[in-house]
Amino acid sequence: MTSRRQFLLLTGAGLAAAGCDQVERFTGLADDPLAPFRPPTGAELDDVSHLLNRTTFGPRPGDHARVTAMGAAAWLDEHLSPDSISDRQTDRLTARYEALRSEPLGELMEFDEKDLLDQMIREKILRATHSKRQLLEVMVDFWSDHFNIDPSKGDSKWLKPADDRLVIRRHALGKFSDLVRASALSPSMLWYLDGRVNQKKHPADHPNENYGRELLELHTLGVHGGYTQQDVMEAARTLTGWTVRERSKSRYGVGVVEFNAKLHDDGPKTILGQTLPAGGGEKDIERLIDLVAHHPATASYLATKLCRRFIADEPPEAAVKSVAATFLSSKGDIPATLRALFATPEFLAAKGGRIKRPFHFIVSALRACSATTDAGKPLQDYLHRMGHAPFHYPTPDGYPEEPQPWMATLLWRWRFALRFAGGKINGTNCPKDALAKAAGSPEKLHAHLLGRMPNDEEVAALKTADSPIALLLAAPAFQTF
Amino acid sequence: MPALATGLIAAPDSAPEQNLVVIFLRGGADGLNILVPHGDDAFYRARPTIGRKKDDLVNLDGFFGLHPALSSWERLWKDGTLAAVHCAGSEDTTHSHFEAQDFMEHGGLIAGGWLGRFLRNRPDAATSPLGAIALGSSLPEVLRGAPSCAAISSIDDFTLDAPPAFTQSLTSLYSRSGSLLGPAGASALAALDRIQSLSATKYTPADGADYDPKDDFASGLREIARLIKARVGLQAATIDLGGWDSHITNDSLMAGSLARLGKGLTSFTTDLGAHLASTTILVMTEFGRRVAENSALGTDHGAGSVMFVAGGGVKGGRQLTQWPGLTEALTGPGDVPIVTNYRNVIAPTLTRLSPKTDIARIFPGFSLDPLPLFA
Repeated sequence: MTSRRQFLLLTGAGLAAAGCDQVERFTGLADDPLAPFRPPTGAELDDVSHLLNRTTFGPRPGDHARVTAMGAAAWLDEHLSPDSISDRQTDRLTARYEALRSEPLGELMEFDEKDLLDQMIREKILRATHSKRQLLEVMVDFWSDHFNIDPSKGDSKWLKPADDRLVIRRHALGKFSDLVRASALSPSMLWYLDGRVNQKKHPADHPNENYGRELLELHTLGVHGGYTQQDVMEAARTLTGWTVRERSKSRYGVGVVEFNAKLHDDGPKTILGQTLPAGGGEKDIERLIDLVAHHPATASYLATKLCRRFIADEPPEAAVKSVAATFLSSKGDIPATLRALFATPEFLAAKGGRIKRPFHFIVSALRACSATTDAGKPLQDYLHRMGHAPFHYPTPDGYPEEPQPWMATLLWRWRFALRFAGGKINGTNCPKDALAKAAGSPEKLHAHLLGRMPNDEEVAALKTADSPIALLLAAPAFQTF
Repeated sequence: MPALATGLIAAPDSAPEQNLVVIFLRGGADGLNILVPHGDDAFYRARPTIGRKKDDLVNLDGFFGLHPALSSWERLWKDGTLAAVHCAGSEDTTHSHFEAQDFMEHGGLIAGGWLGRFLRNRPDAATSPLGAIALGSSLPEVLRGAPSCAAISSIDDFTLDAPPAFTQSLTSLYSRSGSLLGPAGASALAALDRIQSLSATKYTPADGADYDPKDDFASGLREIARLIKARVGLQAATIDLGGWDSHITNDSLMAGSLARLGKGLTSFTTDLGAHLASTTILVMTEFGRRVAENSALGTDHGAGSVMFVAGGGVKGGRQLTQWPGLTEALTGPGDVPIVTNYRNVIAPTLTRLSPKTDIARIFPGFSLDPLPLFA
């Protein structure tokens, strides 16, 4: 089966014969990744470089000119409705990881779990690197941390791909309440935070509070969100009875999530001052999610996290307030909330002040150089060394967004820069010559990599550099965004 | 804001970094043929053919004897550097290598490895790019979630191979950087310096320590010793030794691995010398073997095995588990019972390495009763 399909992808001759591919071939040519391009010319990061830095995993050649031409507003409009952007080239690049999209979910169990994990990581790197829906990828990364699952526990090893696809990706730019609901009933999450064993079979049974606590503390209200231990226990009671069919116990329907009324505590509950009457059964979860997903504490907690990601390590209060207000008034509409964030004066004023996390650093380097990669072990190895491999964070709080925990990673960033630019990472290619040619001159190439013209120190350093690309990727400026 | 986590290079006169070295014997090592209970008649009744006789052992205390391949450990035992914990293991009952290793490396049915969690929960977490290493080609589950971990085969995997102009430029650019990147850059450059000079120097193990150059387990231990002595911020290292799945001809199947383990650990402790005081070595396996020998003169998957703890502060020369006897006490299909949960061996070790870390958080859902391993 290597087949006609792959052949068609690889050769221009085949494309002409296939009607529907013809359109894409045209798109592909229009987006020749290394066509001559015009890099930024300012001495400082301009608004367009800033927008690209914050809403993508780093500008590709030509992105700056493209956004300058179409205008930031139009560009944002597009990215806030990702379905409006055709991304079939990325779909094709990741098509080989079809195991991840197995349905029904029990089919996932047919695969080796280490292989599934490797495929998930590769797909994540490839999508972050190549997808045209960049803001979506940035938000997928954000929510993957917010609703973190380390899949190494129990059946999660096989079920996390479904969480990534049906929870995180599906709702990353949708309604927050849909995201929380999907996550609450995600088989992978039911394993990771023990929801599957949260039950009340006998009157003396205590519910398992693990998920209920994280739902309030990490997913919605935030640790200072004003809830009490009593609220945690009541939330846990509300969620009793939701189980997932286990690999070791079922032959059929493994991974299927079911509500078992016999395991549900159907008495009345009081959460955050609101009463859920007795007899709610499987509707109890809807009431709970409605309550916590639209709570004012949730709005300000999420606004703070979003402002940290997109504006500054210490989120400015005025921006947080404005974003939280929009979150509430839009009933948790994520695109509307982000639109409000990008409209704050604090957003535009925050140029270059954040430090890239290791995943962002690596992907931004791949993008800046228009690199090709198989995202295989030699590349993943750098993420492990820097402690930032996707799907490897053990606790539910997700990888930290703050800069401090990442400050001991420079040595590996430098090694990556050298080896990447030197063509020494197996499976990854940095097309140095084509990139230099597309940029037009060394000065323009430098400005592209920095998002601005080099300063005096950088100019001096570049004069002695064997590989200007390696030097600039390793330089302080490329660690920030 | 916490203090910046960039001081990765210890000043020569500062207190030494406490290191943990985990040696995982993969395949289910037969504790009964490593630390042999020659004082228990039931042992010889269950293993009439393959039970190693008392005269053929390094007698330690009149009841237990070390397999002769470990004879060089007698000195460590006598000087109190080495302690043993028999009948140790986990509550996993699958008898599956994979499930049992996973369970033991995660610290239960939990996501992420216990060592990864420990390194992340330390107050001084993420201080070094070389904080944790796994000798070999892949990262073990136990390190999953560590703030930094690299699978390496030698110290040369850490070098930069950069022209001098590259590091000079970085020195100049980072020295002009702000409050976060400036110090972080200086710190990374200092680490680099130390690693480059280390890598450029031919390594001579101390005190005639004799690592077998053809044995990758021994070479791995040599690289770990080198990094510990260089004080580049290493906090934990893991290394595997396989070849323990002795379903047939128990002793001859284990002989090679036992010899490598015996000689390797002895070379390592000799080479470390004074640095052993700041190093703790854990030797563990996913499960032991069935007590009774099988028809192929081998042993099948069991439960309890032996763990060893060696290094600084260990109150050694002791076997710490109350021997349960090998008759009524057996569990499952005739397995050595678990008298000491493996977490109760790891927990005091981690407390010694980082007294300020809350070890209960490393093993959630388990009520710890740490073994008094340390003086």
